[in-house]
Parts: sequence; structure tokens; C-alpha cells
Amino acid sequence: MDILNGLMQGFAVALTPTNLMWCFAGCFLGTVVGIMPGLGPPATIAMLLPLTFQMNPTSAMIMLAGIYYGAKYGGSTTSILLNVPGESSSVVTCLDGYQMARKGRAGAALGIAAIASFIAGTVGVVALMLIAPPLAKFGLAFSSPEYFALMALGLAMVVLLAGESLVKALLAMLVGLWIASMGTDLFTAVSRFTFGNSEMLDGVDFVIVAIGIFALGEVLGNMEKREEPQMLPMPKGLRNLLPTREELKACRFAFVNGSVVGFLIGVLPGAGSTIASFISYGLEKAVSKHPEKFGTGVPEGVAAPEGANNSETGGALVPLLTLGIPGSGTTAILLAALILWGLKPGPLMIQDNPTLFWGLVASMYVGNVMLLVLNLPLVPLFAQILKLPVYALYPLIFGISIIGVYSVSGSLFDTWMLAAFGLLGYAMRKLDYPSAPLILGLVLGDNMERALRQSLMMSQGDLSILWSRPISATMLALTVAILFLPLLRRANAWRVTAIKENG
Amino acid sequence: MKIFREIAFAAALVLTVGPVAAAEFKPSRPIEFIVHTGPGGGADVLARFISQLVDREKLAPVRMQVNNKPGGNGVTAMSYVVEKKGDVHAIAIFTGNWMSNPLLQAEARNTVKDMTAIARLVIEPAVIVVKSDAPYKTLADFIDGAKKAPGQLKQSGGSITARDNVVRQLLMKSTGANWAYISFPGGGERIAALLGGHVTMMVLEPQEAGEHIRSGSMRVLAQVSEKRLPGFPNVPTLKEAGFNVPNVAQVRGVLAPPGLTPEVVAYYEDLFLRVSRSAAWKKYLDENQFEDGFQKSVELSKFFDEYTNQMRGILKEAGAKLVR
Amino acid sequence: MNRSPFARGDFLSGATLTGLGVYIILEARGWDYATPDGPGPGFFPLWYGIAMVILSIVLVASTLARPAPAGEDTGINWREVGNALMAWVALAGCIGLLKLLGFAVSFALLAIFVVAFIYRRPIKTALLVGCIGSLGFHLVFAQALNVNLPVGVLGF
Repeated sequence: MDILNGLMQGFAVALTPTNLMWCFAGCFLGTVVGIMPGLGPPATIAMLLPLTFQMNPTSAMIMLAGIYYGAKYGGSTTSILLNVPGESSSVVTCLDGYQMARKGRAGAALGIAAIASFIAGTVGVVALMLIAPPLAKFGLAFSSPEYFALMALGLAMVVLLAGESLVKALLAMLVGLWIASMGTDLFTAVSRFTFGNSEMLDGVDFVIVAIGIFALGEVLGNMEKREEPQMLPMPKGLRNLLPTREELKACRFAFVNGSVVGFLIGVLPGAGSTIASFISYGLEKAVSKHPEKFGTGVPEGVAAPEGANNSETGGALVPLLTLGIPGSGTTAILLAALILWGLKPGPLMIQDNPTLFWGLVASMYVGNVMLLVLNLPLVPLFAQILKLPVYALYPLIFGISIIGVYSVSGSLFDTWMLAAFGLLGYAMRKLDYPSAPLILGLVLGDNMERALRQSLMMSQGDLSILWSRPISATMLALTVAILFLPLLRRANAWRVTAIKENG
Repeated sequence: MKIFREIAFAAALVLTVGPVAAAEFKPSRPIEFIVHTGPGGGADVLARFISQLVDREKLAPVRMQVNNKPGGNGVTAMSYVVEKKGDVHAIAIFTGNWMSNPLLQAEARNTVKDMTAIARLVIEPAVIVVKSDAPYKTLADFIDGAKKAPGQLKQSGGSITARDNVVRQLLMKSTGANWAYISFPGGGERIAALLGGHVTMMVLEPQEAGEHIRSGSMRVLAQVSEKRLPGFPNVPTLKEAGFNVPNVAQVRGVLAPPGLTPEVVAYYEDLFLRVSRSAAWKKYLDENQFEDGFQKSVELSKFFDEYTNQMRGILKEAGAKLVR
Repeated sequence: MNRSPFARGDFLSGATLTGLGVYIILEARGWDYATPDGPGPGFFPLWYGIAMVILSIVLVASTLARPAPAGEDTGINWREVGNALMAWVALAGCIGLLKLLGFAVSFALLAIFVVAFIYRRPIKTALLVGCIGSLGFHLVFAQALNVNLPVGVLGF
């Protein structure tokens, strides 16, 4: 009953005209910065922060949170249309989203991304509302050994992301691990693989690698052939722009998978939405009846990661609101904001400021509906960009990529790195190396190394800490299962053909 | 091109030695406020707060525009400041990192001594906390526990140049105890490790600790500050608890590019004096439980040397490879 | 994939990666493998370096073990690769000009080059794409979103 009362009170707060307006402002702005590659919610929220000092904290929080989850909606747009990831959490969406666009299903992919975002976003809020405190405790049970197991589970998915050659996929992943370890070592302040560049002391930004390898590699590959009248077939008529019933049906499991995986990973302070989207994609592929079609443009491959990165938002707010612990870059700024507004984020904040918590929760329901209504009509509009002739579209992608990278750090050095990774992406395409494992290695490598070293510091060098704890043991067992999955499949396929031949 | 340069040179001459400069310096275009973190980092939030405060209370005739120069743990921003030599419309936030990183990183080409000190603003105190179900009631209990089981107790913290580790090194050196230090990149993960019972102790900002103590999930053993903080009247400082270790100040302040005239320095010094006297600033310090650490240019310059030497000794002690 | 161009590509890329792996191992040996507190900065790179060397040798060996069928050696169309590399050089040139000319002009030049020389469209079309694109970026990013774009000596 408490929850119901709280929620009623929350809606009373969220549905006032002022708060509705702030909620819309946040969602709209979030969608815009989500669409723009490079420009992300942390930067936007930080820049708007001074404006919020004069606002009522609840309204301010409603708006800033709107930017946070709104950006997750927008992030998929450029991933699908241009193969340029709009946010780091939308990198995985490129894999199948862009392929769907190439098959003329760009509108459908965008629609599915919006629907998955809506479902998962809503599930995330429901979970935030119902089980936040116990879940925060679950998050605390996670420590370095569990993170190591989670990262190992993620890396094992390289098997699932591999194309025809597992060796090449593994090599691409190792290159990703190498890039991940560039920069200053957290534990000893030793700088590794910086080639004497002070710009590389912080490591290589993930966005640079992702845009270089996915977007530039793809464009350079397509520019080989001068005469390609139109890159993507564009079906006419509104019906072809929206997902079909079959496509939505194929996504049923992906909606659930994305919602649950995204939320659970979001609760963990040491893992972010990028990892969540990779893991839910891997899970989707692992249980799929037709895993071989992933990467060629299946709707589930869009729905799972897009769902995951949206419900991650709800998850990430759990430790922030119930414990005052920020789990990601964006929640760290929200924490700073709460302090600047004079609130006291911590275990007692919900109790002390029920209006803020319930107002925020209610506004997130409203915001998710707003975003769906805002984003679905935008689908046909955005799909128009594919009508541009390639000779105009490709320079445009170059420009967006440069701006995307430059807007992250304002450093020209980074744009040079972008060019270098573009060349690498093209070379990988030519030589038939899959790019997803490299990105996977890059995302997980840093976290994995850190978790392993932390674990061994905790246990004073005893490796058994990794499998003697129940959660990490379970995940490591799952890892092993995923690693052997292809073998089982092959054995099964062989058995089936053997039976057929015998029969 | 050449003619432009000559005009610019002449203008610069007039500005620096002409009658205009003899009068008081006033900024004539927006002041670039350089920050070494991305938007949302601790220094960034502070810079945006200051620029908004200056704007609202009309402390300067022009606006301050925050410019983020992240990268290289602050090294990128440091070289940028040095490149701006002579620019009277640029200032930057510095933190302790600006002094300790060049000691460890060969890639850093500049130190704070290459820049112009303006003002020190904030001293961030800290408290030493354990989880509330830990058996340690005082810091001495914890040290005894660490002595009984060398290396078994753990502390969560940031990088080895962070204040957390410096406090640990000093305590270990003065008591002979020994415990592990586990680095986590994010503040959230550090607290989560403590609350989850994966580490024993941590050095935490009073503002964050306050709420966990109020809710009964943490216990504070001692505070790392010169005198007791208003929020923790019953908690002993390190000295009061019987540990004679130097107080390691975590500082933030403002500096400027090299090559500024005394008039310009005086102007910015005065600007930040007025910032630190404002009511909004006092409120900001209170809410974050920071200490007012205001220091003028000359003292700050001395502080740079003291702090750098202190860090050099501590990091050497910790076994880090120094390059300077 | 046992067409020969890939086999040759596999051989070359495998050999490059072996080199990279050896380099990583050599670098990693310069850092502490283990410290009193736990594994050091050289721990992880050493192991993935070793894995890289082993896997890349497997790749190289498998191409050697597979005899390249004769007559299929022309799999790589060097003219096409030339096109892509020309586009890349144009992109790199644009990035090189950012500091001098700023984003607006550099991008316009890149767009004009791509349209006029890579896609061989009339110069008028090229100018149109360059100018509209550049203006559009300026309006959306610099004006509407307040993103700092590289500014050149011309002041924009």
C-alpha cells in the first residue's frame, strides 16, 4: 500500500504542468544528444547543471533524468542508419540494426528500437519502484571476483560474435584488450603503450574506436566502388517503415531479456550500459533458434541491446537513490547535482525526500510514454536521410564522425586516432576480421584486468577466490557453457546429418 | 599576415607597459575557465559553480566560460595552460593531481611551477570509516588488527597517488602496521566494496560518510583534518587519536598561464577573494563539508613546493617510480 | 574461407599480429609482473601478448598448410583498394587542415573532393554538397547544440 500511496503522490507531483514541461524538455534534449554521436548525457547534464540551481530540485531531477534515459532512445538512430554509434551503449545495435537498414528495413529497426526502449524503460522503472532496496543489497554482494566472472562471461561471447574463423575473432578480441590497456595503470600509475603521448595517458576513448572501426571502416569499404547508385533500398509507403507483426513477434523474448539483463547489470556500480547491451545481445544469440542469422539484420539483435541500455537507466538509479552510490559517469553527475541542490544523497534520502523519489519515478513513466510518442513519428523522418545519394551521404558520415569524436574531448589528437582506427576498420573488413570482438575486448578488457587484480589483492594471490564464491562460480560455469555451446551445436548438426544419411 | 602580427604586438605593448596597464587590469572578454576533467567531474562541477556564482553576483565584468580539456590525468590541461602563456583571459582549476602526476609521468612536460599561482580555495577533509558491524571502534583498534594479521585487512581507494593511499602510507610508516590497498576507479565502487564487506576500511569524504553514518551503515574512526569538523564534533582527528602524521591536504584552487603581470595576478586574486567571501560560497562549503582553504598567490606558490616535496617523499616510500 | 587472397591476407595479417604480440610481450616484461600487493601492470599484457603470438602463429601456419590454388591470385582488386585509400587520405588531409582552417572549411573541402574526384560528379554538385553540408553542421552543432568545433585562423 505504501508503494501505491507513494506512486499516487508521485503522479500528483509529476503531472503538474511545470513538471510535465521539464520532463518533456529533458526527454527531448536527451533524444537530441542521444542522436548526436559523441555528445552524451554526462556532458549535457553537466552543462545544464548551473541552470538548475534556481529550480526546484524535484523538477530539476525530473529534467536531468529525462536527458539520461532520453539519450538511450536517441542513441540507436545513427547506429541503425549510418553505422555510427550515437552512444557507447548503442554500439551493439550497429551489428544488426545497420544490416536491417541495408535490407531496406531501416524504419522497422528504428521502430523496434523505440518499442524495445519503451518496454524495457518501463520495466526498469517498475523494478526501481518495487524492489530497489533489496536489489541494492544484491548489488553490494558483487565485488571484484564477481565482476571478473561477469567480464569473463562477456568475453566468452566472442565465440558467439565470431564469424567464420574463431581464430580471427579471438585475435581481434586480443587487439581490443591491448587497446584497453593503453594509458595509465590505475594501481601503480605506470603508463602503458602511450608511445610517449601525454594525450594517451587516460587511454583511448571507446567512442573513437567504435566510430572509426564501424562507421569509417564501413564507409571506406563502400567507397571502393565508385558507382553505387543508392546505398540502401528505401521502400515507399508508411507501412514499410514500421515493424511488421512477425518482426515484433520475433522480438518477444528479446524485450524480456533486454529488460531484465539491463536492469540487473545497471544495479551493479562497476558495470555500465555498454556491457549490459553486449551481454543481452549475446544471451539473445545464445538462446536463438537461428543464431547464424545474427549480424545479418535480425530484429531481435536490435531489440535486446536497445532494451538493455534503457532498463539499465532504471537499474543505475537504484544505488544512486537508495545508497547515494553512483555507478556510472552520468549518475556521478546526478549525485553532484543532488549535493549542490542541498539534498543529502544517501541511504536515508528516499525517506527524507519522498516527493523527489516518487515524483521522479512517476515522471519516468510519463517520460517513457512521451519518448515513444516523440520517437515513433520521427522514424519516417529520420529514414529520409537514406534517400541522400551516396556521394553526399558519405562525406556527411565523415563529418559526423569527426564532430562526434571532437566533441568528446575537444582534442585534435583524438581526430587523428579516429583516422587511424578508420584505416584499421577498413583493413579488418578487407582481411575478413570481425570487428565486434575487438569492441568487446575493448569494453571488457579494462574492467576484467582490474577485477582480476583486485580479486587477487583481496585474496593475497589465491586464485580460488574466483570460483569459491557462489555468484562468481555460477557465472563462470555459464561462461564455460557458452564456450562449449558451438561444439555442442556442431555435434548436434553432425548427429542430425548422420541420422539423415543413415535414414 | 605580418602586418597583423605587428599590430597585435603593438597592442600587446600598449596593454602591458602603456598607461592602460598602469591602471588596474580588467578583463575585456569572457574568461576561459580550463578544467582538466570532462563535464561532470569534480573540478568541472566546481568550475561551473564558480562561474555561475560570479555571473549571478556580478563579481566580474565578463562571463566565465568553462572549457574542458580532459585527458592524460590532467596532463593535457596542464600543457594547454602553459601554451596559453601571457593570456590574461584564462584561468584553470588545479587539484593535488597537478602536483603529484608530473612526479610519476614522464609524458608530463610541465609542472605547476611553470604556471602562475592565483589562489587556493578549498581544502577537502576526510574521515576514516569502517562498516558498522566491524569490530573496530577506534583507529587504534584497526591498527592493532592490522598488526595481528599483516596484509589481511584491506582498504578501498583510488589510484596510488590519491590522498587515500597517502594517508595509509603515513599511518603504516608511523605504526609499523601493514594492510592492503585496493584501487577502484569510481567513488561508487569504493563505497560499495566497503558496504558489501569486501574491504575493511576506507578514507571517505565527510559529506558522503555523513549520510551512511546517520543511517547506521558506517562508523567513523577518525578524521583527516587539522581541527574537528562541525559535522563530526565527537570524532578525534588523527593527531588527537595519537597518530603523529602530517595532515595531507586535498586541495583545489585556481591558477593561470605563465607570464602574467602583477596587476593581472592581483585582479584574479581579488576576484577569488570576493568569491570566497560570498554567502553562496559559504553555503557550498557547508553542504560539501569542505574547509575554506583560501590562500593568496605568494603563499600558494610556496604551498606548491611544500606539497610537491611531501608527495615526492610519500610516493618514494610507497615504491612508485619517480621521474622528477 | 580458403580462397587464396584471404589466405595471403591471413598470412600477412597473422605475421603482423605475431609482431604486435612480441612487441606487447617485450613491453610487458619491462613492467612488474607481480607486486607485493598483487599482480602488477605487466601481468595482464604478458598473458594476452602470449595468447596473441600463439593464435597468430596458428593462423599463419594454417595458411601455409593450405596450398593456394593456382590462378586465383587476383582476388584483391587493387583499383578498388586505391579508391578507398584515396578517400582515407582525403579524410586524413581534412583532419590535418582542422587546426589551420577550422572545421567548416576543412569539411567543405573534403566533401568537394569526395564528390568531385572520387564520385566524379560535376563540380557544381560538389560545391553544393560541400557548402550545404558545412553550413548544416555549423547550424546544428555550433549554433543549436553549442558544441565547440575546431576553429581555424579565419575565426570560424
